[in-house]
Amino acid sequence: MTVELFNQEFESILGQLKSYLLRITASVHDVEDIVHDTYLKALDKLSTFRGESSLKTWLFTIASNLAKDNLRFQKRWTEDVTDVCKQEALANRQFFQEAMQIRTTSPQGLFEIKEHIVFCFTCISKSLPLQQQLCLFLKEVYEFKVSEIVTILDTTEAMIKYYLHTGRSKMIQIFDGRCALVNKEGVCHQCSELNGIFNPKQKFQEEVVKIELAREANSADKERLFDLRMKIIKEIDPFDSGAAELQLHHLEHNRVVMEKYV
Amino acid sequence: MTSTMTMAQNGIATTEHKTFSRETSVSIDVSADPAIIWNLLVNASDYPRWNATIISIDGRIAEGEKIRLKSTLAPKRVFKLKVKSLVNGKEMVWGDGQGTRTYKLTHNADGTTTFAMSEKIGGFMFPLYAKHIPSFDKSFEQFAADLKKEAETIHSIKK
Repeated sequence: MTVELFNQEFESILGQLKSYLLRITASVHDVEDIVHDTYLKALDKLSTFRGESSLKTWLFTIASNLAKDNLRFQKRWTEDVTDVCKQEALANRQFFQEAMQIRTTSPQGLFEIKEHIVFCFTCISKSLPLQQQLCLFLKEVYEFKVSEIVTILDTTEAMIKYYLHTGRSKMIQIFDGRCALVNKEGVCHQCSELNGIFNPKQKFQEEVVKIELAREANSADKERLFDLRMKIIKEIDPFDSGAAELQLHHLEHNRVVMEKYV
Repeated sequence: MTSTMTMAQNGIATTEHKTFSRETSVSIDVSADPAIIWNLLVNASDYPRWNATIISIDGRIAEGEKIRLKSTLAPKRVFKLKVKSLVNGKEMVWGDGQGTRTYKLTHNADGTTTFAMSEKIGGFMFPLYAKHIPSFDKSFEQFAADLKKEAETIHSIKK
């Protein structure tokens, strides 16, 4: 493969690679570093790329290894990350001032419920063991086959299936217990609370019925609701959406809080 | 494997009673890779999700580690067990002063895996308290059935 062709293909995969790394690391700074290192490493090893897997699989393999190195000494977050970070945010006037500034001045400062769903999933998925989190995103969001994930994570098919199933089951269990969008008894109402803060004129109930996940909450089973949640995540690029700046600011806040908390 | 474990097949538990001991065993063939079954067996915190006989297991399932197990057989009791031995992917033994539970996986030529579990309880004082210990048979059968169902669900994930 020529360097020119590689550059073209890298560019076409870049958006997915960045969003994947953000979902794994929750750090824009780390994403930039890992993307940079992935590019350099891939370019350096380009002569060894035989096309036995797709270039996308190869690049995700390099990026995943770099991300794993980056995360090796970081503790996993906790399931109640949104509760913990909410308490910290409520005591942090500067956080809200910055968020309101983004809300009123940034072209990517809208508050969208769907985008908060994506943000929330990113935070809570960091409570899974890393291998489960990686498998879940690779399969459910980036649509790699199990055989490709075997290559990316360099483990067996049985282990990938185990990580996928347990990761998915755990996330279904967490959202079923917490998320008021899918369970009336759910303890977390942050999307409606934040909608009230950032979109005071927008009625939450009118907005939320536009979301398939919420519409089907009473009729669909847990697996279906999880699939609908993943569908939302697939549709939204956290770096290139109407609420990107607002959500990235919120994510950075949570990352800093969790680094101290865990 | 003990002789009783060999006799107990297809998810039906059997119990052998002796004066100073009692041994319950069950085995079942599972259409899944042994790595899947093994990981289900050693992931302590995940047990309650798939196994109806376990209320909770706290601690890390690794050789020499101590774990705290709550079972539906005696929900008010916490069993403090030690992981006495562990051969990765093949065999594991837990126990305390009164009993020893053994888990064993055998990979078969047809691609299935035989899961076998046995528990031997006893000692010199056993005849005095034996009648107060409930039968393990139904719980063992449930354990084996739940493990089979969960492992086969995982194994059947689309490639």
